[in-house]
Amino acid sequence: MKGIGVQTKNVVDDKCPTEGFAMLKRAGFSCADFSLNSYLLNTNIYRSELNEFFSRSIHELTQFFAPHKKAAQEAGITVNQMHMPYPIYVPTGDRELNDYLWNEVAPKSVELCAFFGCPHLVVHGFKLARFLGSEEAEWERTQAFLDSVAPRAKELGVVLCIENLYGGIGGHIVGGPCCDAKKAAERIDRMNEKYHAEVLGFCFDTGHANLVGLDFERFLSTLGDRLKVLHIHDNDGISDLHQIPFTFAKTRENKSSTDWDGFLRGLKGIGFDGVLSFETAPVLTAFPEELKMEALGLIDKIGEYFAGELGR
Amino acid sequence: MEIICSPKGIIDRKRPGQGVMDIAGAGFGSILLDLSMGCSEYELEAMGKKRAKPLPRDTILVSKHPKELYHVLEGMVEKCRAQNLDVPVARAPFLCRDTKHQDLDELIVTLTEESIKICGRVGCGALIVRPISEDLNFYLGFADLARENHVMILLENECRDFNGHLIRGFLSDPSEAAEWVDELNRKAGEERFGFCMDAGTCSLCGQDMQQFAAVMGSRMKAVIVRDCDGHSESSMLPFTSVYRGQPQTDWLGLIRGLRENGFDGRMILDISDTAAAFSPILRSGLLKLAKSMADYLKWQIEIEKTMEKYSSIVLFGAGNMCRNYMKCYGEAHPPLFTCDNNRSLWGSRFCGLEVKPPESLLDLQEDCAVVICNIYYREIEKQLRDMGIKNPIEFFNDEYMPDFYFDRLEDR
Repeated sequence: MKGIGVQTKNVVDDKCPTEGFAMLKRAGFSCADFSLNSYLLNTNIYRSELNEFFSRSIHELTQFFAPHKKAAQEAGITVNQMHMPYPIYVPTGDRELNDYLWNEVAPKSVELCAFFGCPHLVVHGFKLARFLGSEEAEWERTQAFLDSVAPRAKELGVVLCIENLYGGIGGHIVGGPCCDAKKAAERIDRMNEKYHAEVLGFCFDTGHANLVGLDFERFLSTLGDRLKVLHIHDNDGISDLHQIPFTFAKTRENKSSTDWDGFLRGLKGIGFDGVLSFETAPVLTAFPEELKMEALGLIDKIGEYFAGELGR
Repeated sequence: MEIICSPKGIIDRKRPGQGVMDIAGAGFGSILLDLSMGCSEYELEAMGKKRAKPLPRDTILVSKHPKELYHVLEGMVEKCRAQNLDVPVARAPFLCRDTKHQDLDELIVTLTEESIKICGRVGCGALIVRPISEDLNFYLGFADLARENHVMILLENECRDFNGHLIRGFLSDPSEAAEWVDELNRKAGEERFGFCMDAGTCSLCGQDMQQFAAVMGSRMKAVIVRDCDGHSESSMLPFTSVYRGQPQTDWLGLIRGLRENGFDGRMILDISDTAAAFSPILRSGLLKLAKSMADYLKWQIEIEKTMEKYSSIVLFGAGNMCRNYMKCYGEAHPPLFTCDNNRSLWGSRFCGLEVKPPESLLDLQEDCAVVICNIYYREIEKQLRDMGIKNPIEFFNDEYMPDFYFDRLEDR
């Protein structure tokens, strides 16, 4: 196992990144998932409310993030994965919005990922099946987007990682892009063959998988070594809550209603040796500020427990 | 496509007359012979447990006397015959999703065999079996008996209970389910196995129903249509599990999938929980609505058949619905023109069609259909009839299109 990580969101602050990365280190983490997506929020993108953050030049952006990079290095934290802002395409948005997302936000995210020396950039596939009529047509659009950033990602040694997502129907969460492991595996292989390099991999999101009843072990077994990074978090099977694993039960026996054993069996089965990375930023706003360290410490401890189980 | 009503929640097996009458009275022509009504999952789960209250003296527990399965439901079958209700599909008894029993496989085999014999006896050609084993030979073991009784075994997609959370189970992956059916038939040497897609189970697991139905193709002989909130097991009337005015079941995915599949099998409507919750006084009215619902779903799935009936059509409406019609069906079924009540549009062109005043419909050849592309269907239909138009009038609906525009036109 290469380490245990968590999102930088709600921990690392732009005003004093040193403090945040040091906090992660004190809590026990060795890695971080840099939340680039928090610089352009999805809620704002859907409302076409863009900020100017990604309008800056690459030079300006790298200058902006230089203190973050330095702070991570000083704290001994490896930025092993990063999240590109999402969505990168809004079907009901105007051309200006989508051009900005495709031509400014996406390529600059790749550059910033490389600037941090981070090997994995998580990207969201497009949610267009309803409009286009099929998941295949939806993937074609996602692939066109990936093709627009893949050559530069290849040059910079960044692996783009597609993630299992969900959609909503009357408040009921249903499977979305990349929820079919077989198709994802085929598409990743096809893309990597095309570029003669590993430009595409997978990010398995436990919370999203739990919401749509995926069989963790089976899904991971199908992905095999295409699995590059993780978003580990828990929920009640109903809403995307991004909470600490083992916190939800549904029966009088009070056993976890998320199949963590299946998750571990799946990882073990494919010999996963990446980072056990938690996507649990909302935990840190749910807990009182005074308990933030303890909350982070518990997340790290769960990571250690997972690592221990995987090492058995 | 044949519409079948599931009797659970409607028919009392001990006094089946009224429930059967309500189903027939609503216009259903067929009923599912649900043999789990003779031996329920709860009866099976209670096996070996001490009862709080003794059972009435005349109670026959089929779980103890599997051969009695037909006997306990015979009255229901006879009443169905008397009401001319066909029984084309049956369902074998099954276990609870969260069963604690690991010792009932043998009993389930016996009950399934008994179910096959009952199918043979009543002339029912298909039996839905909920899988309990991941061993192909388990199901092949039923092939000879099924052949003797002229029954096709329909396996069903499963979800499994993981500490109270229902997640994807055996045969929930359509490509694997398709391989299973093909392999079973190959080994049986004939088409003895098929598939029944339970749309409610798909919904509970947040599955892509379009993909499911499309991948299953002609292996899919039946579909169970029921609504639920996507989290708890229930069988509700379609379009009744809603949140903020939106349905919680992916009806778009299901309809698209069944269209892609070219589905022409059995559509089993299961509204058992809604029916059981309704007062018996209201139940006959509920069943009439349920029948309309099933007819509506069938119409949506077969929407192109409506257009195929006519050698020529014209549209009424020059807005979003007309635009959607032209996007999805304009090439295969081109209208002569469209018309609209908005006089400012008359003489203009919309989506390649000339927009004419309603009066132009009076000049149509008598077999040309007027297809209303506007949600004020009944009001427009009345307008046209009041104008003296005698042509066939059809409604078009764009809620479940094969694809959609990214935008909607503003008010025209």
